[in-house]
Amino acid sequence: MPLRMQSGQRVKEIATLLSFMVLAFFLPVDHVFAHDAKIPRGADKKPDFSGIWETTSSADEDLEPHIARADASSGVGVVEGGEIPYLPQALEQRKKNFENRFTADPRLRGATLGVPRGIYYREPIQLFQRPRDITIVHQFGHSVRTIHTNNTEHPDDPNDWWLGDSRGHWEGDTLVVDVKHFNDKTWLDRSGNFHSDALHVVERWKLADANTIEYKATIEDKNVFSRPWNITVYLHRHPEKNFQLIEDYRHTLEYEQHYPPKPDTK
Amino acid sequence: MNHMIKHGIKRFSGYSSIFLALCAMAASESSLAADEAKSKAQPVAATPVVTPPGQTRIARETSFPKLVSGKWSGPRLPDGQPDISGLWSNTIGNHSNLEDPQAGVIYEARKKPLGPREERAPSRISDPQDGKFPFQPWAKEKVEQFRIGFHNPTNPGHVEPNARCAPGGVPKSFYWHGYDILQYPGYVLFVFDNGSRIIHLDNKPHLPSKLKLWNGDSRGHWEGNTLVVDVSNHNGKALFGRSGEFVSENATIKEKYIFSDDGKRFNYEGTFDDPTIYTRPFTITIPAIKYTEAEDSDGWNLEARWAKTKTSAKYLEHDERICFENNGGFGLGATDTPQVLVK
Repeated sequence: MPLRMQSGQRVKEIATLLSFMVLAFFLPVDHVFAHDAKIPRGADKKPDFSGIWETTSSADEDLEPHIARADASSGVGVVEGGEIPYLPQALEQRKKNFENRFTADPRLRGATLGVPRGIYYREPIQLFQRPRDITIVHQFGHSVRTIHTNNTEHPDDPNDWWLGDSRGHWEGDTLVVDVKHFNDKTWLDRSGNFHSDALHVVERWKLADANTIEYKATIEDKNVFSRPWNITVYLHRHPEKNFQLIEDYRHTLEYEQHYPPKPDTK
Repeated sequence: MNHMIKHGIKRFSGYSSIFLALCAMAASESSLAADEAKSKAQPVAATPVVTPPGQTRIARETSFPKLVSGKWSGPRLPDGQPDISGLWSNTIGNHSNLEDPQAGVIYEARKKPLGPREERAPSRISDPQDGKFPFQPWAKEKVEQFRIGFHNPTNPGHVEPNARCAPGGVPKSFYWHGYDILQYPGYVLFVFDNGSRIIHLDNKPHLPSKLKLWNGDSRGHWEGNTLVVDVSNHNGKALFGRSGEFVSENATIKEKYIFSDDGKRFNYEGTFDDPTIYTRPFTITIPAIKYTEAEDSDGWNLEARWAKTKTSAKYLEHDERICFENNGGFGLGATDTPQVLVK
């Protein structure tokens, strides 16, 4: 670089430097805007989760790392740190559940899967969103869950619900949902991971991109686990043309053949 | 039913003595849910059919206004749909008896004789004019067997499937408990106590015809104040009520939901065409009313409650709708829920 430059050269250099600074200042912001624009938003500017979603993970087979067995594929699991921190007695129950899983899993009755299992169960779920709430229709059992997003609070006189009571609020583009007042009748997966009615779930829903939801949940239950633990699961938007949920009331299978009446056979 | 147990014990237990006192006073047919309660072989003691003092509850209409399809001049949602979202209920009676909706369950002993027919709401059959289902003889006989068997079932088909928490189906879901109508771009969503219906407004093709469903597969569109819905893939398994009428899986069903301009009412007009069972098409008309903030829960038609808020905003919200999971069979021949369905 010459020690002395012509004034014109210097102006050019300063201009170039300035333009780089300007670029450096705007580039990341620009990048964020570009990324942001890719996710769908409602009239209220909140991320719009409307659509039909399903995970490709094997979380429902076993939340923890698992090797292929007759009724499951291999998977690294979705639990942060790998293992669920069971209390000793609860771990014994979990082992019993695993042994009895072909008869004891509530899924086998067609029962509502609960939270968070219904989210990562391998069947589609449809999210219907409006400012005051998000309604989730699960294909399995056609269970309907409401996440209230209207600044309302958990009720004072709760029942123990299969799906708990869900109250959500927005933290930036993340929907944070506090879920409690559960019963103890659902499982967390088909390997017998379970909870008590003290279950408390905090979900974090975020659109990773227009067609992917990053779903995180913190699971807490003082009767079963030694500390809260976290899972991360991704849900993918169904891309098939004209895709739709198909009702699933399999709990009627035991008796549905008796209807409707048919003409007597001669 | 879980909601009876749930509300009866948890929410309405304080009213059980009022219930018993009012039961003695009330004519059996004067309460929407009384027919329901007394027909249960395994009733819950404190069936929550009583409106607590100071609350209003829906009137049991003996007549209702005719609504005509036409322009919609009420409020619209951003996507252009007439805004009719909310909690809705039937107004003239439940599922006991379709041809005489306020006469109670057929072949059930009555405490006092019925008055003249014109004192009660009309048949839900608005066409044919005589208010009767135009059954083929064999089907009429089957329905008669059901009406007798209903009180002492001698085969599993005498159990009304809804009593085992099967979906109420089309059209019965509209004259059972209250229900939610929710609207989204491209969809109208009905959420009933037993089952839900997603009405697709985008004209996508129906599901493959071999898939038969309790609630069928619905495609709809708005014509002014009227939601017009075509229901296919219907499995015919959900009986129309305790009077046992039904269609087969061959039925075509065209529905019109005609809304009043003030958004407070609609009339459902469902036309069923099923040459397997009937001699001609027929139309079922069901009046419905929307709940406003003036009403409070009556535990049957409106089971919602006020959300807890820190502000003055008022929101009606509904408990999760769960049925068979919470129940064993509850009488009339219904058995316990299956323990294991698949392996």
